[in-house]
Amino acid sequence: MIKLEMQNVTLAYGHKVVVKDLTFQVMPGEMVGLVGPNGCGKSTIIKALSRVISPYSGRVLINGRDISQIPRKDLARLLGVVPQIALLPSAFTAFEIVLMGRNPHLGLFQYEDPRDMAITWRAMERTSSQHLAERRISELSGGEIQCVVIARALAQETQAILLDEPTANLDISRQIEILDLVKGLCRGNKLAVVAALHDLNLAAHYCDRLLLINGGRIHAEGTPTEVINTQNLEQVYGHGSYVHTHPLSGLPAVLPRVDSSRNK
Amino acid sequence: MSLEQLELPVTKQAAPAALYPHWHGRVYAILGLLVLLGVMVAFATTVGSVQIPFLTTSSILLSKLPFVDMNPTWTSSLETIILEIRLPRIILAGLVGAALAIAGATYQGLFRNPLADPYLIGVAQGAALGAIVGFLLPVTWLGIGFATVPLFAFIGALLSVAVVYTLARVGKVMPVTTLILAGVALGAFLASIVSYLIITSEEQIHGIMFWLMGSFALTQWSEVKFVLPYVVVGVGVLLIYARSLNVMQLGEEQAQQLGIDVEKLKLILLTAATLVTAAAVSFVGIIGFVGIIIPHAVRLIWGPDHRFLLPLSVLVGAIFLILADIAARTILAPSEVPIGVITAFCGAPFFLYLLRRRTKVLF
Repeated sequence: MIKLEMQNVTLAYGHKVVVKDLTFQVMPGEMVGLVGPNGCGKSTIIKALSRVISPYSGRVLINGRDISQIPRKDLARLLGVVPQIALLPSAFTAFEIVLMGRNPHLGLFQYEDPRDMAITWRAMERTSSQHLAERRISELSGGEIQCVVIARALAQETQAILLDEPTANLDISRQIEILDLVKGLCRGNKLAVVAALHDLNLAAHYCDRLLLINGGRIHAEGTPTEVINTQNLEQVYGHGSYVHTHPLSGLPAVLPRVDSSRNK
Repeated sequence: MSLEQLELPVTKQAAPAALYPHWHGRVYAILGLLVLLGVMVAFATTVGSVQIPFLTTSSILLSKLPFVDMNPTWTSSLETIILEIRLPRIILAGLVGAALAIAGATYQGLFRNPLADPYLIGVAQGAALGAIVGFLLPVTWLGIGFATVPLFAFIGALLSVAVVYTLARVGKVMPVTTLILAGVALGAFLASIVSYLIITSEEQIHGIMFWLMGSFALTQWSEVKFVLPYVVVGVGVLLIYARSLNVMQLGEEQAQQLGIDVEKLKLILLTAATLVTAAAVSFVGIIGFVGIIIPHAVRLIWGPDHRFLLPLSVLVGAIFLILADIAARTILAPSEVPIGVITAFCGAPFFLYLLRRRTKVLF
């Protein structure tokens, strides 16, 4: 079980500061959602958590240990990432791609054994992508590729998963299926989960806690009910949305504010 | 996390064997090509100014293998022709073909660019400049057992890659595109010096041009002995990192997230591929197209998995260059055609055919 933590982290591309003085933590078994407008820094936070970029200042910690001190291979056994737009080599089969999730578990002279194959196969089953196993990436749709990449993260057998827009290319039932799966792993295996999500309704439904990010800073933090209200959304997104209560879950639900007079 | 924690079924349901039948196919292909390579070596020794029957040459070769005892039924002059004149040349051709093919496959994988070849980042131009300096120097031997031309070519190749690498490095990282661009720029710069030196080198121009187009003429065992360790070690290192090279196909960001130390891997692969290429070009000159077409041909037939792509490229590259060398020394016999002419003459049309045939994705 691992705890993810950011302490006063400032992230920058060159001299352009993208995220300023961010502090938050994610406990084992907790699912934290990053929400906010385009370009607010969600993906950058995910990259910093997975050590693709290093903080300009501040520290990123796993169980209190600075991740810059953890060898990449060890880190990849702790932390799996589902990137936003996964560019995959098109000549490989889906199975070969998911099998790459076993890479951090293999030594330099080791080949995948039947156990690695079984884990890979099981990961594909959980994401309903077994039927894609023999197909080449070039033959898959965006949504199918998304499932393959999620399966790869599962095959990594990590204790934390970072997802950057995991449902961007999926239809509504697949969105629910994938988020159910992630939530189930989060609860059942006490995974620490961080998900950057555009869909506020899905974020409200699945996440234990939300960080509403705006301009690289936390605008609001708390349970979905605390974070998603008309006032916060107006301040962050402008006058574009209307918050009411979901009839089934009682959680906040967001509708686009369509003003019928405006488009005339 | 253990297997059980992920709540895998107790049966540990295995992935269907049908998913990986082609693994067997590729292993058989490697074995088959090894045999073919042996036969090709024996066949290549039959060709020359004296035609020697295949049975004789293969008997002579077999008799030299450990644990094989045979009564010689051939003359010792025949044995000298085969073992001292023809065999070193054939072995060197095989080594160079293997080296260029695996270096090409590595660069194509590392740069994720189908047009990458072993000469992309300045090896060829550096070697050419070094070789020409060697030709133009008044001395031919440095007293350390090596001719100046190959030695200078080897040093030139390594130096130019080192310069490209230093130029492309930004802080701790080395972006692949910067590396390619720096390589192309330095290559052009060195090529201009090479051109200038060629037109001003009246007496040496024939030797220089012949070197530039590549040739295995007059190969001796000492040359094989020089090239062999680099090729063996380089190929070994590249094969060890073949799985990492597969993961690199996902791009640097995803590769990092899957536990690859990308910068370290780039350094290892570049060093190994450069050493192998530099050793190959230093004696025989710049042989084009082997490094680009062989990996593509292998990819077309056996797929993109580098764990098979690299060893298969080694074998196919060796066989191809041995064949090309046979052509080089027979077409205009008794004089020789530069082998670069043969490989490009066969390689270019094949490459165009590949470009036209887009039915199968290569990368």
